[in-house]
Amino acid sequence: MSTPAISIQNLTKIYPIPFKRERVTAVKDLSLTVEPGQVYGLLGPNGSGKSTTMKIVLGLVSPTSGRTEIFGRDSTTVESREDVGFLPENPYFYKFLTGSETLHFYGKLCGLSGTKIRDRTKELLKLVGLENAADRRLGGYSKGMLQRIGLAQAMIQEPRLLVLDEPTAGVDPAGSREIRDLILDFKKRGITVLLCSHLLEQVQEICDRIGILDRGSLIREGRLDELISIQNQTELILENAPPELLAAIQAIIAKSPARLVEQRKPQKTLERYFLDVTTPSQP
Amino acid sequence: MTATPPATQHKIFSPARVWAIASNTLLELIRLKVFYFLLIFALVVIGVLFLYRDIFQDEFQSLKDGSLGAMSIFSLLLSILPTAMLLPKDIEDRTLYTILAKPVPRFEYLLGKFLGVLLLLFIAVSLMSLVFLTVLFCRMEVAIGEATRSAHGALLNERLSAIQHDAFSESLLPGIFIVYLKAAVGASITLLLSTFATSMIFTVMMSFVVQIIGHLQSIARDAAIETVGITHLSKIFYMLLALLIPDLSAFSLVDEMVTGTAIPFDLFAKTAALGGIYVAVYFFVAYFIFMGKEL
Repeated sequence: MSTPAISIQNLTKIYPIPFKRERVTAVKDLSLTVEPGQVYGLLGPNGSGKSTTMKIVLGLVSPTSGRTEIFGRDSTTVESREDVGFLPENPYFYKFLTGSETLHFYGKLCGLSGTKIRDRTKELLKLVGLENAADRRLGGYSKGMLQRIGLAQAMIQEPRLLVLDEPTAGVDPAGSREIRDLILDFKKRGITVLLCSHLLEQVQEICDRIGILDRGSLIREGRLDELISIQNQTELILENAPPELLAAIQAIIAKSPARLVEQRKPQKTLERYFLDVTTPSQP
Repeated sequence: MTATPPATQHKIFSPARVWAIASNTLLELIRLKVFYFLLIFALVVIGVLFLYRDIFQDEFQSLKDGSLGAMSIFSLLLSILPTAMLLPKDIEDRTLYTILAKPVPRFEYLLGKFLGVLLLLFIAVSLMSLVFLTVLFCRMEVAIGEATRSAHGALLNERLSAIQHDAFSESLLPGIFIVYLKAAVGASITLLLSTFATSMIFTVMMSFVVQIIGHLQSIARDAAIETVGITHLSKIFYMLLALLIPDLSAFSLVDEMVTGTAIPFDLFAKTAALGGIYVAVYFFVAYFIFMGKEL
């Protein structure tokens, strides 16, 4: 059995309220495991403890009790962060740096050599589609470009784990789709992703497994397809079916104990429709 | 590109990481166009030249007095205002998260930020010194020219020697160093305050308050000793107070250096050591608070 990418055991975080006797429990006895190569979606309403959990995993906040590990290393240690890349929600990087200077800076922080930084910068700028904006200052970047340079900095030291907090927040549908494709690309490369997002449709598209937090407690956890499939229903999607065939199927159903719940034309998502009408067609 | 274990070996302390943060901080502060103040400084120094035009001794004196005074004020402003915004800005922009989510210990982050400010102060004090010393040198050359035209022989030599002594006394460079050290102490206090302050305005205001108390502390202490006398308990209290709030009057050595008074080396060394100790103590206290800070 391989070492889990993230292991959270009986994690509790209580914040004292200054000048009051009250305390706020942000995370309550949370235990979960993220296996290597998985895309794990951590979901929950605002204030459910998602960001606190992420920050504890990254060592930015210390737990009140419990333990978190990254690839078997205690996540309170600095060493554990060699394997992690993090993109916070709505990040603002140093505006006075250009795209390539930003990656150079983060590469230095990871202890990479000059040659390695140059190679990785070139490779990542190409990967996130910012080759043409490499020498532009981040102050002039759009929201989507900032998120993409954020993903590139998270990937600079080739981490095995990516922690992404709302990576598509405030990004237009096309930019959001690009980021989604990048996450799927990381998954193909075997990188584990812990994703926090309110965009449930996107989570559904890319996550293998999800955990739902509510008021600090994990209320549901499991494989996404198992959690959301309706076990006693079956979906048939036919293409070019003549009316006679449909009538015959309905007749068979009528004679069986099954019940036809709904018959309708499948719909594309609004995102797909928006992208179809706004993306210029290839010549 | 695949998910492979990291190729780099983590170092407990990496000067390269500290330098990356320090140089980035310096660049950040320079891009804030903080060096515009140099123009005002140059105007102050040149403006002082127009005072006391009659006697060159007075002119040199007022030039040194005005310039080192202006250097003290500008370096103090530079030590407080940029330092106060460093941590809150990184937290607000979440840049701090992306840095500390890399294998960067908090000690290195804080040290890098502080070194960036110290570098800024060093450049600023050096540039101000350059302006000041250039003006002083030019004025000295004019005074030498005037002396050469009006005196000869032994009298000329005597006058030249007096001009050179009045312009460039040997205590001038140590005086500039003390100005830098005092600004470094101010920056370390501001850094300490910013680790627990809730707003930048609070940090700035408290930093100025500490500066005022720091300057008045010795006067209050001397008055108390004179009226109440000194006991072991009060001695400990004064020492603790001097540690909590630096005794900035110790750096008033600059005033004596300006007047050309020769300062014994051991007094200069003691003042420099005191400044160094203050900077180190405040930095480490700032680190211990920052280490436990929930981000």
